[in-house]
Amino acid sequence: MSDVLTQLSENMAAVVQAAEPSIVRIEARRRIPASGVAWKDKGIVIAAHHTVQQEEGIGVFGPGGERWDAELVGRDPSTDLAVLRLKDGELTPAEWAEAESVKVGHLVLAVGRPGRSLQATLGVISAMGDSWRTPMGGRVERYLQTDVVMYPGFSGGALLGVDKRVIGINTSALVRGVSLTLPTSTVARVTADLLEHGRIRRGYLGVSAQPARLPKDHAQLLGQETGLLLASVEPESPAVAGGLMLGDTLLSLDELPLRHLDDLLSALADRAGRKAEITFLRGGEVQSREVTLGERA
Amino acid sequence: MPSLLTDLNEALANVVSGTMASLVQVRDERAGAGAGVILHPQGLVLTSAHVIQGRQLHVGLQDGRSLPAKVLGRSPGRDLALLDVEAGDLPAIELGDSQSLAPGAWVMALGHPWGVPGGTTAGVVIGVDAHLPEAPPRAGELSWIAVSAHLRPGHSGGPLVDHAGRLVGINTMMAGPNVGLAVPVEDVKGYLHDVLGSRIVERRESMIV
Repeated sequence: MSDVLTQLSENMAAVVQAAEPSIVRIEARRRIPASGVAWKDKGIVIAAHHTVQQEEGIGVFGPGGERWDAELVGRDPSTDLAVLRLKDGELTPAEWAEAESVKVGHLVLAVGRPGRSLQATLGVISAMGDSWRTPMGGRVERYLQTDVVMYPGFSGGALLGVDKRVIGINTSALVRGVSLTLPTSTVARVTADLLEHGRIRRGYLGVSAQPARLPKDHAQLLGQETGLLLASVEPESPAVAGGLMLGDTLLSLDELPLRHLDDLLSALADRAGRKAEITFLRGGEVQSREVTLGERA
Repeated sequence: MPSLLTDLNEALANVVSGTMASLVQVRDERAGAGAGVILHPQGLVLTSAHVIQGRQLHVGLQDGRSLPAKVLGRSPGRDLALLDVEAGDLPAIELGDSQSLAPGAWVMALGHPWGVPGGTTAGVVIGVDAHLPEAPPRAGELSWIAVSAHLRPGHSGGPLVDHAGRLVGINTMMAGPNVGLAVPVEDVKGYLHDVLGSRIVERRESMIV
């Protein structure tokens, strides 16, 4: 029996050890340092946005205590991710895995480096779900909740599966009191955007809208109960240029049904600067227009 | 690849999926939902008394059905309540033994923490005792199971299971930031006898012994 426990403990320590070279300390705020994880590209470090409070003089500390200067590549407050680049140095990239490699109940280890040495806590995957939107409107590909205890400075650290790979980046700031992990797929998408553009490009239409019940006939025909009634349209916005008017009820964007405001937000998320086919209801008639979306500042 | 951890993970995921089948949502007319667990295929559901403070009760099953529930018994002292829903062939949980639950033993708690359906948390048994420094005393010197698991609003009334997925307790509350408290299943068994009476209990005996 004790053999099993010894083996278990050694296995767990081995998981943490395997990840150790890729977990760094990030000093970019007063008092409590936070954690970061080495991305696949050389010298790129993933951190939690809320722990990066200064843009100058950011320090990254490796396993042996070595210090590198880092610059902020960009940040996405909506997913609480920030990307840093070492000015002169390389790290051992972590091995990243998709969230599909774990199930509810699986053991996971959260690791961070708020101090000089690595720290770890044990937990299980508490809940998994499909994509969701953070309170700030960011899209996250998978809902991933654990019961690991997030010690101060653990944000930006890694969630490790028992196969020693990184499932995602831990943050305690997105939803208070809940240990959430941003899955690798989200980290990859946001990081690619930040490396390319320095920011997250989000589509802009220039309207405010609210869900409105569709007339019965249309509801049946379209297979959706509600559309989005335009309550205001910004002057000189992509909406105006595309021929949308106050009082139109939006039905779909590139064939994605627009039932709630969330649907519009997520449809716009990846379409900055692109053309989109918008169908809407005007005067009891379904019409459609091609609208060239802008980019939200 | 550490095979022991992989095996362990498979076992844990099996415990979760097995227990999940017997996990229900318990709602009254107030906002939010508590948890409950199916004790008998013909619609016996156990939950915490503090979960059901309203009148119009509904039990949400894993298959998506939401059924009106009748209160068979409610004991605020024990913080247990027994509900009856009109249904058959429900996946009842197997009852375990909380008296032989040793400190250090692995347990898992299921519920709907902060409204997240089927939220799972794991920990070890800290102790089974009537006198715990941070826990409120229970009526009649009844014991608590103290566990190192983080119970949250919405876990209440849900099952605490052992390594084999057997019910050992009902999630009830936290004592301080890191200690979860559950009502031991032995107490549940006593409560069932009180509420249902020995005759009815015998008819539903399969689950008791």
